Amino acid sequence: MTEREAFLDSLATAAKRPRHQLQDHPFKPLNDLPDTTLADLSADDLFALAEKSSEAVHVDFQTTTKAALPQALDAFLAAKAAKTPMLPTSTAFADFGLTTWRDQLTPQPSFWVPNAGREANIDTASHADAAIGFADYLLAESGTITVATTPGQGRAFHFLPTHYLAVIKKSHILSRSRQAMYRYEKAFADGSLKTSNINFITGPSNSGDIEMVLIVGVHGPLDMTYLVVEDM
Amino acid sequence: MPIKTSDHPFLTRLAESEADPFMQAAVAKAQDAQWDKRTAARQDLGNWAQWRELAEQIRQHVVRYLPDYLEEFADNVEARGGHVFFAKTDDEAANYIKQIAIDKGAQHVVKSKSMVTTEIDLDKKLLEIPGMSVLESDLAEFILEEDDFDEPTHIVFPTLHKNRDQIRTIFHDKLGYDGDNDPQHLARFARKYLRASFLQADLGVTGCNFAIADSGLINLVTNEGNADLVMAIPKTQVVVMGMERLVPSLKEAEVLDQMLSRSAVGQKLTSYATFAGRQVDGESDGPEDFYVVIVDNGRSNALGGDFEAVLQCIRCGACLNVCPVYRHIGGHGYGSIYPGPIGAVLSPVLRGYQEFGDLPFASSLCGACSETCPVKIPLHKLLIKHREVMENQLHMDHSFNNVLMKGIGVATGTPAMFRMAMGVDHTMFGPLSKKAPISTENFINNGGFVKNAPSLAKGWTDVRDLPRPPKHTENFRAWFKKHQSENKHA
Amino acid sequence: MKVAIFSTCIIDLLFPNVGAAMVEVLERFGCETTLPVKQICCGQPTFNSGYVKETQKVMHNEVDALLGVDADYIVGPAGSCVAMLKEYPEHLKDDPEYAAKAQALADKTYEFSQFVYRILHVADAGARLDATATYHRSCHMTRLLGERTAPFELLKHVQGLTMVPLPHLENCCGFGGMFSVKEPEISRQMVDEKVDSVLSTKAEILISCDQACLMNIVGRFNRRGEHIKVMHLAEVLNSNVDMDRVQYIDDADLVPGGGTYANQNQ
Repeated sequence: MTEREAFLDSLATAAKRPRHQLQDHPFKPLNDLPDTTLADLSADDLFALAEKSSEAVHVDFQTTTKAALPQALDAFLAAKAAKTPMLPTSTAFADFGLTTWRDQLTPQPSFWVPNAGREANIDTASHADAAIGFADYLLAESGTITVATTPGQGRAFHFLPTHYLAVIKKSHILSRSRQAMYRYEKAFADGSLKTSNINFITGPSNSGDIEMVLIVGVHGPLDMTYLVVEDM
Repeated sequence: MPIKTSDHPFLTRLAESEADPFMQAAVAKAQDAQWDKRTAARQDLGNWAQWRELAEQIRQHVVRYLPDYLEEFADNVEARGGHVFFAKTDDEAANYIKQIAIDKGAQHVVKSKSMVTTEIDLDKKLLEIPGMSVLESDLAEFILEEDDFDEPTHIVFPTLHKNRDQIRTIFHDKLGYDGDNDPQHLARFARKYLRASFLQADLGVTGCNFAIADSGLINLVTNEGNADLVMAIPKTQVVVMGMERLVPSLKEAEVLDQMLSRSAVGQKLTSYATFAGRQVDGESDGPEDFYVVIVDNGRSNALGGDFEAVLQCIRCGACLNVCPVYRHIGGHGYGSIYPGPIGAVLSPVLRGYQEFGDLPFASSLCGACSETCPVKIPLHKLLIKHREVMENQLHMDHSFNNVLMKGIGVATGTPAMFRMAMGVDHTMFGPLSKKAPISTENFINNGGFVKNAPSLAKGWTDVRDLPRPPKHTENFRAWFKKHQSENKHA
Repeated sequence: MKVAIFSTCIIDLLFPNVGAAMVEVLERFGCETTLPVKQICCGQPTFNSGYVKETQKVMHNEVDALLGVDADYIVGPAGSCVAMLKEYPEHLKDDPEYAAKAQALADKTYEFSQFVYRILHVADAGARLDATATYHRSCHMTRLLGERTAPFELLKHVQGLTMVPLPHLENCCGFGGMFSVKEPEISRQMVDEKVDSVLSTKAEILISCDQACLMNIVGRFNRRGEHIKVMHLAEVLNSNVDMDRVQYIDDADLVPGGGTYANQNQ
């Protein structure tokens, strides 16, 4: 018998319950609160709640339009006095009409490059003073952005740079984490998403470990900006 | 350190806690602040009672079908190219991880906060490897590590007992910090120090808040983001998890993350909630080698028995934050890495009554823990159950001899004996009663009080005065009889 | 209506004033009271200490004694002891002889303030007490019995009485039954904080619905030489009563109790 089988059998013996009963007793939630909570909000209500929740977690919440997006990003980089900005490798630039902006950006950005390898990408990210990334969704209830890791936008992209901005479509504001989970589960199931990692990020890194005094900016970015594109 | 954190006897630990007024003030302040934050976060969500029922149901369901969920999870980790090891004991788990470190030639381990790695004493085991450095990356755990592995005193706020001056001194003496005691400055210094260490890390060790059975991903929540760096930078990741920490799918993980965040720190979600597994093709960072170590280490003692509900725990620490006993004796008073009400229930389950038999008695059974628990563990009832097991099944002796307590059982179950007791009380207490200062009104109504009682009442009069009982002709029953006959004649 | 008095051992042994006040208040509102003489104790001292086996006889005696008299209700002056009676059906569920009796007992048992407010529908008991007071909410009455509001509703209407909120109302006073004698080192620190909280209100009177908590807190007051007057709620409602002031409340207007540890909503 394998070590795994011995272990699992020992649990069944201790519990005095036979194994392999789950098939006939799948989990059925006793209420639908995760689905119904905040479910009836309009797009504008969601937006308003998202703004309030984001600001409550120390996020700089900004809005713009697709046309004004390049200026908004320039303003962010200028405000952070970014000298070594970092961008993902992503088809989203085209989607957001940012191809030209990206190609002409000064100071010249570095990129998270697929197949450039662990060391190179982590080194770039650790030297970046500002990162601009694309988030999948924004959760109105908690002011949370969600983002699945891709070859062009790795895990450390969201953690190592000093300042961080996430671009989100207004139409991708969801009420709660449950709605995001449905979308990720669907994308896993239909094969459209292949990722090892999904981040739910709710404001900048913080800690209360010293006398419970809130310190913003511990391991991750020191600050965080959400830029919502209203007409997308 | 293993589960037990102190060799000092319980009463010595209590005296040590009482001699630490900073700790007591810090705990009280933290409890009061968390009370407001937690309550607000729960009210904000609404329908808290129903959310608790759902969370309880998820946890009970998983515990009930635990072997099946573990099997599903392990299959899915392996389908993603990861490895799963089932460890019956702390030593099996720690030795397996040590061997991974040796096989990988790892020299720089970074860890994110994990109670179970503390439980299996992993840091010490890894440091047996020549040239090995082990770095705790959670700010609090880092402080404890630099303070020569001081004991954590809270499962969510491990350094609750330390003040900024103490932390400054640790950073100064161990790391050459020469700044002031401002928490922001201390944290920035730690950030810089830890960032450099992260970048050279070759093995990452994390805990696991929830393991997602149907996807083979693990779910970790932090506010600092350290766990994400541990999962991003090193080529190898080892996940250490208590065997009960499963959920069926991302949906239940999401529910429990909400319950955990609101209960632990009064936030809707912690800053980072991450669902992660082994790197997939095309990705640059994240672990190429992904190991999950599933630890029993005494947990199966709870399966199928009176204490099974303890496995529902999601380690939010809310029960510590409301506990009036924890408020005074702090984490060190319990002598277990799992302190507070959950610790008083869990520690004896994991390690038995010889080591932790004192803990279930260190509770006034006020029920604040049971009331706040987001997964509805009836903690105060489990404390009584522990007492029952010790007294009725194991016949252990706890500060009173059994003859005396059983005598009370007989006296309170036998009307004739109770009548005798009511009769002799006043006279028996007579010689002990003092006329000494009475500062209270409507309390000492029968001529004096007792300051130094023997036997059973000694513990009482060590702390408080005991009013002398009334004469049997003046007790309530005598009054009632008289009152009734007056009514009849009226 | 007929009410059997569940006197509790602590009232029987030490505090006739509380029992008498409760009986007088209940009779004032039309209850016919009886005192079952064979009753002794709810069984918490041994049960909560782990002597569960030894407590079976105690519970049997209490069930037999309290059900042995003809009464519509059973009313006791202690949230904690009443909560224990309410738990009898759970403790005796596997006892073929007592399971059903335990349920019958629990169904008609009420804590004093609960009974006055929720069953007798008294809003204003007609009492007057010219003083400043604070109220200690017992843990068991709050979390096991689920009654957090009735005493406050009744105190609101006591003429002349100014109630000051007690800080850290939610924290245990350190009594905990046998805990207070088995763990005096911890209990002392808890009761000291409670004494300090009461002192901070500058109240002249400390009121509660649990005489055992009061015995702990005020016993510590006396040891520390601090001044306080102690009153059970029954004594307060029995003070300077003018029947013309009595007011009743409709069922629909009753403030809910707030739930037990298992079902409260925050």
